[in-house]
Amino acid sequence: MKLLQLPPAELRRQLASSGLWLRTGPFSLRVRSRIPSVAEGLAQLYGQFEVRSPHEAFADFHVSVNPPSGLRRWVRPQVCFAFDDMPPFKPLPYDQAFPMLEWGLNWCVSTQAHQYLIIHAGAVEKNGRAAILPAPPGSGKSTLTAALMLSGWRLLSDELTLIDRKTGLIHALPRPVSLKNASIDLIRAFSKDAVLNRPSHDTIKGTVAHLRPLRESVLRQHEPARPGWVIFPRWQAGAATTLAPRSRAQTFMYLAENAFNYSHLGSEGFRTGCALIDRVDCHDFTYSRLDEAITVFDRLAERRGT
Amino acid sequence: MSAAAPPRGWLLQTWGEEAVAFDAASGDTHYLAPFTRLLFETCRDHPGLTTAEITALLRARLDGAPDTDFHTAIDEGLASLQRIGLLNAP
Repeated sequence: MKLLQLPPAELRRQLASSGLWLRTGPFSLRVRSRIPSVAEGLAQLYGQFEVRSPHEAFADFHVSVNPPSGLRRWVRPQVCFAFDDMPPFKPLPYDQAFPMLEWGLNWCVSTQAHQYLIIHAGAVEKNGRAAILPAPPGSGKSTLTAALMLSGWRLLSDELTLIDRKTGLIHALPRPVSLKNASIDLIRAFSKDAVLNRPSHDTIKGTVAHLRPLRESVLRQHEPARPGWVIFPRWQAGAATTLAPRSRAQTFMYLAENAFNYSHLGSEGFRTGCALIDRVDCHDFTYSRLDEAITVFDRLAERRGT
Repeated sequence: MSAAAPPRGWLLQTWGEEAVAFDAASGDTHYLAPFTRLLFETCRDHPGLTTAEITALLRARLDGAPDTDFHTAIDEGLASLQRIGLLNAP
């Protein structure tokens, strides 16, 4: 069944007791939390995702988001993320519980799922080909990823691009897209299909809200995609939309430096990365207008599709 | 010139005039710019050459008279390849 079919009271009960079993892409989770905003965020953003009874189903990651014990409950309340009952991070303010769950889940995948080469990049797919969008923070990667999803591209991931080491295909992990600061209102205005949760303020990244993945992306989350392009987006106020070829070797180096587990995989990481670069076109992409950016991406997809 | 085989313990991948090299012993990955790649291949194809002989070979190949910058680029390129271990590997 889907999460949206769970009555709110039952969702809260499962989260507060045995945990909510949830599938996202190739991973299954068991999430525990007594915090209302976590239940609210899951209901808003994960409605299309499969849930099962936690008593019956194996889970890859057992996580929780709960207040720490002790006086902190009363003075400046905080929240802790735990993986297998161990907290890998310091606590955050209580009202950042849902973003902390999202960041914690990213951490689980990036530190555990070594069957993939995991690149810090967004990824979207159209006509069977995936565009990988690596970029430093502030470059507009998530904004562009969100806009592409809202314009007919399938969301593969906002943060973690999973490259299958055996097949070279990209596996989907279409969890909510993390939007920051001005991007929140920009994406709200961009499409009537944009559904965002309540923003969390004063996080380490500023104000953060998450965009619900569209139903189509979630329904096809078990369908891998062939890599088509690696495109480095850069948003620049007033800039003309330009797509320029980029060195494959330098693209490889960037991906290697920004992969979560490239070093861990050793020579296998090198081979997987080389095989990826062999299959893609590499570009630098500068833009200031989302509508023009979408047009450029659509043309790329049309050319590949013919 | 065809891409030279990498030394034992290294993986080499070329795209156009550039290359990346992976050192399995250290786990480090290195970018070889076009001139560095050319230098590496020259050394691998003609082991035991002196710097002057390498300079002469490259001058003939690149069809130009060497100037100070050219000599400097060769010295720096060789030093770089030796520093990362790509020329010293067995």
